[in-house]
Amino acid sequence: MSAKPNGVIVFVGLALVTFTACNGGDKPAPAPATSDSPATASPTERVVGPLSPADAQALSTMNDRLKDYIDLHTKLESSLPSLSKDATPQEIDKHQRALEILMRNARATAKPGDIFTPEARPVIIRLLAAVFGGPGGQQLKASIMDENPVGLTFSVNDRYPDAVPLSSVPAQVLQTLPELSEDMEYHFVGDRLILLDTHAHVIADFIEDALPKE
Amino acid sequence: MSSEHFSRARLLLLAVLFATGCQDSAPKDNAPAPAKHQSAQPVLALPNREGSFKFGVLGDFGTGARPQYELADQMVKLHERFKYEIVVTVGDNLYGSERPQDFQKKFEIPYKPLLDAGVKFCAVLGNHDAREQRYYKLFNMNGKLYYTFSPTPDVRFFLLESTYPTPEQFQWLEDELKASSNNWKIVVFHHPLYSSGERHGSDLGLREVLEPLFLKYNVSVVLNGHDHVYERVKPQKGIQYFVVGSGGRLRSGNIDRESGITAQDFDTDLVFMAAEIIGDEMYFNAISRVGQTVDSGVLTRRKITP
Repeated sequence: MSAKPNGVIVFVGLALVTFTACNGGDKPAPAPATSDSPATASPTERVVGPLSPADAQALSTMNDRLKDYIDLHTKLESSLPSLSKDATPQEIDKHQRALEILMRNARATAKPGDIFTPEARPVIIRLLAAVFGGPGGQQLKASIMDENPVGLTFSVNDRYPDAVPLSSVPAQVLQTLPELSEDMEYHFVGDRLILLDTHAHVIADFIEDALPKE
Repeated sequence: MSSEHFSRARLLLLAVLFATGCQDSAPKDNAPAPAKHQSAQPVLALPNREGSFKFGVLGDFGTGARPQYELADQMVKLHERFKYEIVVTVGDNLYGSERPQDFQKKFEIPYKPLLDAGVKFCAVLGNHDAREQRYYKLFNMNGKLYYTFSPTPDVRFFLLESTYPTPEQFQWLEDELKASSNNWKIVVFHHPLYSSGERHGSDLGLREVLEPLFLKYNVSVVLNGHDHVYERVKPQKGIQYFVVGSGGRLRSGNIDRESGITAQDFDTDLVFMAAEIIGDEMYFNAISRVGQTVDSGVLTRRKITP
């Protein structure tokens, strides 16, 4: 697995091409799809755009909060015995549940919007609208809804239920959203986009109505 | 793949069905195997040549319920006379809770005879699997979500994480495929690019990204799960795809036979696959919970010149 700078998110798709797509409201603007990618770009190189400097600034507020979260995560996880690559189920379980408790206690007052900031949310929603409104968008949505645990109720700082499968997140979505470090993942629960701490099994934050209805 | 080979396989299959009786009803997930088949030995349509590379494929298995154990018994029976060294899993290794006792009940106990015999399980993660499984010693993932290994100089496996397929993983895969000079490149992951399963079906978004790499870098075989059936897909652009997703859970009657992509399927009982590579050929058997060989054949590796 390739190493990534811990605690840092790198913005993919920061193609600062035009200044026309700034979004001021919560409702997604009409999807510009993948207009900024050359037609010859491979699927792994596509960039959904455009992203204005204002959008980039909005996403940077999320970056700052995420960095704080990862710093906390790293500090707390380093207080635990590290998992070897030859761990027993007992060691895995003990480590995971200890980290969960530490994280949940440390963020006992966490609430929606702490990481997906009010500034970043509309940009995220618009980026997703662009992906799902673009070529193959319906297929991507179908992929996300495959075993999507629709109806699951949760709050920020809850443990992600052990017996509930994870929605798959298509590559086309991952290359559009701000990139995360290895210990954090985006997933969908119904039409909510969650930020999952995969080491602690804790839902760090979520955005309601992140999947476009149509 | 030559038609001659499959004709031979079809004849063999007919002989097997005649000898053992065809499964004529759909067992439920928790249904016991019919007693009259309990001692059936898989008919081996494999050369079983000394020194060849032999491996098993198992998917969607970790239920801890009796059908999983019964299929595991068939894997053990086969191993007594067909000494496969490795089992690659195609994900959904543990369903539901993943407490320490679950690792025992859903993995260590049913496959204990194989583990004791030194068979290595090399896992990928499915959408039901917690990320921590990568640290579990007996899954041989060495802490990685995606990895590659070469059990013999001729063969290399590329094991991917398809629930969360990051751009970094694709870059890694392309680098590894490009660097590999192995004759046999076999890719393993959970979500199928081609499947006639009605529950899930083909993952078109993933196909868009992965298939060009497979074509470009000479991948011959792709092993998937997710749909709880067995399906050998007709070769797609020269690549052979298998769905081996009924190692513990079954979606009976879930194959869409109008899909047009199926070469052979089986959706009335649990199945694992055994395979053997000799030179440019890979022989395979799909074996059910009652010991039927429900599919067999041989395919030839792709040979493109860059």
